[in-house]
Amino acid sequence: MNKQMPQEFYELLEEIQVVDFVLVELTLYLDTHPHDYNAIQQFNECAKQSKQLKKQYEQQYGPLRQYGMSYSSYPWNWGDAPWPWQV
Amino acid sequence: MHTQVKYYHPYISPFDPCPPIRVKSYQTPPNLYLGFQPPNLEQYPPKQALYCGTLWPALFSPYPNPQGRDEYE
Repeated sequence: MNKQMPQEFYELLEEIQVVDFVLVELTLYLDTHPHDYNAIQQFNECAKQSKQLKKQYEQQYGPLRQYGMSYSSYPWNWGDAPWPWQV
Repeated sequence: MHTQVKYYHPYISPFDPCPPIRVKSYQTPPNLYLGFQPPNLEQYPPKQALYCGTLWPALFSPYPNPQGRDEYE
């Protein structure tokens, strides 16, 4: 059973990666610049965007993270392929 | 602007057992010269930031392969 993932799956994952990378960069920047208001605004916008993208992903392809970070679909299928390294 | 790679010529002794490495290089990315990062620096668009490895063009470095080292030829 070789399940092929649709193209949107990869595009959505890449979008999540892009937003999360910006969040990582801004987190490191804000660690040393706590009073930079513009950066904080950008950080919050990106955080909201990241949540939306992850919600969109989880509605279509199942849970992205575990231990309550993502809702579970029925049946309990977080162990299904593809795993992150199999994507 | 600072160069991304710098080279130096190590001393080569006549008694070196192995073929000498005449030119050595080391990476010098921009963050070495930036000091404390000023706020509101110009940013890459998010997608390009992911592929460039940094959000700020001022800090970008391609980490080029040093050409000066002759043992690659």
